[in-house]
Amino acid sequence: MGFILPIIPVITVLLLFLTRKSFLQHIINLLASGLLVIGALLLTYKVVNEGSIRYGFLGGIFYVDALSVIVLDIVIIIGLVTSIYSVGYLQEEIRQEKIRPGQIKRYYLLMYSFIFTMVMALTVNNLGLMWIAIEATTLASAFLVGFDNNKYALEAAWKYVIICSVGIAIAFLGIILFYLSARGVLSESAALDWVALYENAKSLQSPVLRLAFIFILVGFGTKAGLAPMHTWLPDAHSQAPSPISALLSGVLLNSAMYGIIRALTIVNCNLENNIFTGRVLLAIGILSILTAAIFIMTQRDYKRLLAYSSIEHMGIIAVAMGVFTPLAVFGGLLHMINHSLTKSMLFLSAGNILQKFNTMQISKIKGVLKILPFSGTAFLLGLFAIAGTPPFSIFSSEINIIVALFSGGSIWIGVVLVLLLAVVFAGIVASLFRMFYGEREQETLQPGEINKVGTGAIVVLLIAITLGGLFMPSYVIELIYQAQGLILGI
Amino acid sequence: MLEFVKILSILILLSAFVLMGNKRINSYIETFRAQSLLIALMAGINGIIMLKTEGRFDLLAVCVLILVLKVIYIPGLLHRTYAHVKYEVEKDFILNIPILISVCSALVVFTYFCLRTLSSIIPNSIILQLVNSVSVIWIGLFFMISRKKAIGQIIGFLVIENGLFVTTMLGTEGMPFIVDLGLFIDLITAILIMGILVFRINDQFDSIDTDQLNKLKG
Repeated sequence: MGFILPIIPVITVLLLFLTRKSFLQHIINLLASGLLVIGALLLTYKVVNEGSIRYGFLGGIFYVDALSVIVLDIVIIIGLVTSIYSVGYLQEEIRQEKIRPGQIKRYYLLMYSFIFTMVMALTVNNLGLMWIAIEATTLASAFLVGFDNNKYALEAAWKYVIICSVGIAIAFLGIILFYLSARGVLSESAALDWVALYENAKSLQSPVLRLAFIFILVGFGTKAGLAPMHTWLPDAHSQAPSPISALLSGVLLNSAMYGIIRALTIVNCNLENNIFTGRVLLAIGILSILTAAIFIMTQRDYKRLLAYSSIEHMGIIAVAMGVFTPLAVFGGLLHMINHSLTKSMLFLSAGNILQKFNTMQISKIKGVLKILPFSGTAFLLGLFAIAGTPPFSIFSSEINIIVALFSGGSIWIGVVLVLLLAVVFAGIVASLFRMFYGEREQETLQPGEINKVGTGAIVVLLIAITLGGLFMPSYVIELIYQAQGLILGI
Repeated sequence: MLEFVKILSILILLSAFVLMGNKRINSYIETFRAQSLLIALMAGINGIIMLKTEGRFDLLAVCVLILVLKVIYIPGLLHRTYAHVKYEVEKDFILNIPILISVCSALVVFTYFCLRTLSSIIPNSIILQLVNSVSVIWIGLFFMISRKKAIGQIIGFLVIENGLFVTTMLGTEGMPFIVDLGLFIDLITAILIMGILVFRINDQFDSIDTDQLNKLKG
């Protein structure tokens, strides 16, 4: 199934080229994302039962294991939710005359190219090819970020393309160093192969590998939105159309984080401890959370606030990977899933609010709960969830990571992390909660949801993150355990 | 043959310095073209050596790709873009040129000290060439920072790519061909996208000065 997954978006793109009617394009979009989910579920089932899968053709470049399946499932599930949401979103944009009907085709074309590149990044086993796919994610999503084609969107798109391309170029230097570290150990064709590198990790050249890890962390960290390379992220997330923000935040950041985790696994296996990578990751993770906390406190734009919250959560995942105990890795992987679901739900509800109120300024919005009963409630509960309140799922993964920090001996880092999380919580409450109540003084907006199907998707996500905090299906746990074993090398 | 490669790697570094000293966008593009030509020559020489010793065509194919894309197509594309968004000639850089050149020299020294850690696994003669090519990457990055016009930033990105490519060629004797090919496809798409964005920025802002991209803050 692993090789069918990248083919579905390609066929979708070809079909979209041939169709003219926007109705047909919506149908193709829904069908494609549905098929992707079915494929991904079958693949997950196979991986849970059989472990890693390698496909023989095309020189054996396709490879999936539990770690890639986790991120892949996130990509495809969030892909389905956004594609359902997009239908109503685009119709409303047309009704408000913000876009022309012809632009629907372009939107879907770019969206499926974007999904294709992410699926590719997660199903190849070659470092070089993964790099190419991750660079391609930037290119495919550049015009999605600049979709509105106004001054703000163009500025965001330009920053996005330039900063991410340069960052990724630096990651390539890291990949060259990885290749160099395998000189004399692996044959030329296998020197960029995850599995081969991992199996021979102990005989790679450590000094080069350390240098390589720094470059890869900076490079992929740029795409993952880790501070101080995060500057493109708030702009791109706030200016992109809301469903695309959900994809960027819920999916793209994880794909880049996946690259870092893969490199981390090999380096730690080579050095036989996590002192080096742990220090770097903890420093960069805490810095990200700190940066996010400061900007969340002073934010006036709700989509930017959500974007900074993504930086915070990527920082938390980096911290978890830095601690590198079984509990921390488990928490980190779980946090990836929970953050994606919660954050994409928030961006989608923010999209409804934006379409209704037509402003991103927090101060100009009042009485969301009255005017948008469902998406408003989802947004409010989602904010509690993203800040780490029980019973939502983010709480359960955060508490795992914090316990791992305290029991792993990094008590001060644990204290700092908890304090920063409290600051973030206060920041979110202080800046956003005034949106929900009160009356608007001037013209009154008609209460009622606009994007009904999309709101349904939001509610489903809300249920998922609430239940996810209370109990977890056994196959999800099994999958995370497998991935944890891969990362820790046990 | 290997003597030529050494000379070429120095010339490529020098071309990066020349680029730093350029004042007009048209001369950026021409310097970039010259640098790419040098890299194509280098790939050609290495390709011939590879063909003789291992019987593989990979690097020669890459050489042709560089000639077509980086020497002919991309500079032409940039010239056309520039012709469309013509603006009055004005000072494009933040610091003056002597300071920029001194910083570049410092970058080369810095790279030398960084790469000394590799001396256990790579012969010294290759390390010196790697210093040249990795310096090109940093100079490209610095060029992007020092120029305010959007096209200057595109050129900086291309120079970073050039530096990466030479580093790959010297350090690894060529990546697997599929990786090289993918790199080129990515590169050409990136340049096309940046080119289109430059047009749109010019439409919206009536200028390609990236200092004007300052609306999104905080």
